[in-house]
Amino acid sequence: MKTQDLLDQFVQEARECLERIGQRLLAVERDPANRELLNDLFREVHTLKGNCGLFDFGALEHLVHAAEDLLDRVRDGQIAYRPALADTLLDAMDHTGTLVDRIARDGRLDGEDPAAATLAQALRLHLTAPDPAPRGEAAAPPPRAMPDWLSALPDGERPAGAVAVTYAPEPGCYFKGEDPWRLARCAPGLRHLAVHAPTDWPPAPEAFDCYDHRLSFRLVCDAPLAAVQDHFRYVPEQVDCVVLASERADPAARSVPANDADPALVALRHHARALWTAQGELLARPGVAAASVESARRVLERLARILGLDAADSLAGLAPGAVPLATWAREHHPDGAAAADRTTDESVAPPAPRLGAASAASPSAEEGHSGDRGPRVLKVSQDKIDRLMDLIGEMVVAKNALPYLAARAETQFGQRELAREIKTQYSVINRIAEDMQHAVLQVRMLPVGTVFQRFGRLVRDISRKLGKEVELVLEGEDTEADKNVIESLADPLIHILRNSLDHGIEPPDARRAAGKPATGTLRVSARQEGDRVVLEIADDGAGIDTRRVRAKAVERGLIPADRADALTDAEAVQLVFLPGFSTAESVSDLSGRGVGMDVVRTAVERVNGTVALSSMAGAGTTIRLSLPLSMAVTHVMMIETAGRRFGVPMDLIVETVRVPAEDIHHFKQSQTVVLRGRIVPLRSLNALMGLDDPPRPNPEGEHAVLVVRLGGETIGLVVDDFDGTSDIILKPLEGVLAGLTGFAGTALMGDGSVLMILNPRELI
Amino acid sequence: MGIRYTRTHAALEGDIAVDDAEALALWLRAQRRPAVALKAVGHVHSAVLQVLLALRPALRSEPTDRWLRAALGLPPVPPSEGEPA
Repeated sequence: MKTQDLLDQFVQEARECLERIGQRLLAVERDPANRELLNDLFREVHTLKGNCGLFDFGALEHLVHAAEDLLDRVRDGQIAYRPALADTLLDAMDHTGTLVDRIARDGRLDGEDPAAATLAQALRLHLTAPDPAPRGEAAAPPPRAMPDWLSALPDGERPAGAVAVTYAPEPGCYFKGEDPWRLARCAPGLRHLAVHAPTDWPPAPEAFDCYDHRLSFRLVCDAPLAAVQDHFRYVPEQVDCVVLASERADPAARSVPANDADPALVALRHHARALWTAQGELLARPGVAAASVESARRVLERLARILGLDAADSLAGLAPGAVPLATWAREHHPDGAAAADRTTDESVAPPAPRLGAASAASPSAEEGHSGDRGPRVLKVSQDKIDRLMDLIGEMVVAKNALPYLAARAETQFGQRELAREIKTQYSVINRIAEDMQHAVLQVRMLPVGTVFQRFGRLVRDISRKLGKEVELVLEGEDTEADKNVIESLADPLIHILRNSLDHGIEPPDARRAAGKPATGTLRVSARQEGDRVVLEIADDGAGIDTRRVRAKAVERGLIPADRADALTDAEAVQLVFLPGFSTAESVSDLSGRGVGMDVVRTAVERVNGTVALSSMAGAGTTIRLSLPLSMAVTHVMMIETAGRRFGVPMDLIVETVRVPAEDIHHFKQSQTVVLRGRIVPLRSLNALMGLDDPPRPNPEGEHAVLVVRLGGETIGLVVDDFDGTSDIILKPLEGVLAGLTGFAGTALMGDGSVLMILNPRELI
Repeated sequence: MGIRYTRTHAALEGDIAVDDAEALALWLRAQRRPAVALKAVGHVHSAVLQVLLALRPALRSEPTDRWLRAALGLPPVPPSEGEPA
């Protein structure tokens, strides 16, 4: 691989890494106690650092390394994760992104980068000045004196690697709905549980208050420390967990060689044996599925390797099916064949060799590494997919030529037989082409979650800046749509979110005064409705002040004052979509730069989408975007006027009607027709396009009227005739035609002719 | 399920909630020879456990739950009932 390729790959991976790190950072901030997330975060940063190390990007590596060190300490519980730390990390990762961009641009990263050095310094500062109040039990130094009550226990009740817990609930705990006794007895892997009464126990019956909790509990749990801590996660300050060392006279630990005395190892081996037994039980079940057998085989193979059994090789030669595998598992059970029948076995410790250097790695981590294979994913650049898409588009067009060919064979050459064969072949090719098109469209489908990902950060940053408390709720991230649609969504959505944060959601005080929870909710949801994706952005803020909107629209000269007053509230709200409308009193950093909702509407309409807005004063605003699933194929209705054929996008068309000429009302220059009790203004397409021919009615004296919907209004276009519908691949106008208005683009038809697709929005 | 008070003892049956603790304490204190039957008891709330430990009523019957037996200072395997926890 050439250096350039390697570099490209590095940049791509680094960006992906950074994106995931960004998400993780936010997730961890919400849930700092989640060790899984922290581990994930650490792994991502670690990967990034490793990648940096391949090249000589000193500044970058230095920065990422500092972040890694910090996260390592956070992960160990030596430093608590807190907002200030998160800010520094986010800043550092932002800058890392900038550096990566620079590498992508220049192909190198020269010299020192002062900003990176400063950020690295800031990260190191967190490292050296740990939090004054570190987080609960995790902050305690690992080697600790065993509680004295332990020595009074029989050996069997304190296996090495078990966790000794001293749990002292607070006196008023019943009033918080706690039941310490239940919590204690439900502890994972409970081996011993004793109730410890205070020294003045039992109290005098008269002085005894049954709702004043005086007892404390002493437990020994044969479970991983993390599981025990998780069990007591609501009362971390009331428990004191100590992992029992092996030299505390545990017979199981003594029987293994001295260098295996590590309690973690013993515990791991114990779990490995339990897993082995569990596989045997699974296989012994009647009618076990083939997939389960396969996974059991894999688990056994890995266990055998971990436990150092030389039986791993014989496993490969085993006949398929559950029975041979079950027999094998029983014969090779690490505790001997006899032990396999027992469910669990604590007392027997087989002389298994040491796990090697990876003594700290748990079996699950081991499996996580090799289990990463997962579904195979190919990374393909978008150009290639687009090229494929173009080719299929051409193929669709070429295929559409076959019916014409069949018609010619029949009419011109009188070959009916041949014409029928061509048609048969056509239907086959048609089916394949449609499948191909569908398949490529699927490739281009992306979950909307890819756009949503950025919102977490955005909302966090903006709400912090504005001093507002906002909870972002994302729904339907899995909803898929074409990549182009998704990408065209990003900017409008961000704009809408900013608007909601800036104008919609009130500061906490105002919210409380209005009787709402201090934390505002911003809900972004996506779902599929037919062949469209519907996105809703709803906030529970103040809603749009229609009085102000009216006043502003009049002040800006967008609408006459008398008309503004005549509007209903629901109509007045729509004024925000007018170009040049912005209600923000002052130009803030976020929104209100004169770029208003009209930009959103334009951007959405560019991809054939629609925007709808509804607002309730005091209750919030909801913006609804409806977008096509895919833009690649457009349904058009073909029409004829003045002897020319045109296409009109299907999604604009409400209906097609034939109107008798005498039903058309003429009023000065304008024409209208009443359709189902509604007055629909009529425009002649010929006139709109500057064609001099008058509209041609059909022999019955009826005009063909195409009723289209343009942003909430319906307009009738008078044309000469309708010509059926067609699926086309829309090509935008290019070159000298690019400036042409009134047309959405062109499409190549099956007979080789070019169909111009109208854009009625621009025409009218 | 809850506590059934008889003339001679209080029979704790099923899960005993926190609300029952006070009534049980009052009743036990009012008795000359307080006694409880724990044979059919399920889970007892910490407050109830505390009442049992503080007032030490005589046991008409023993509980079967291993951890409750341990908490009350009873031998781990019930000798007469023979029902393991």
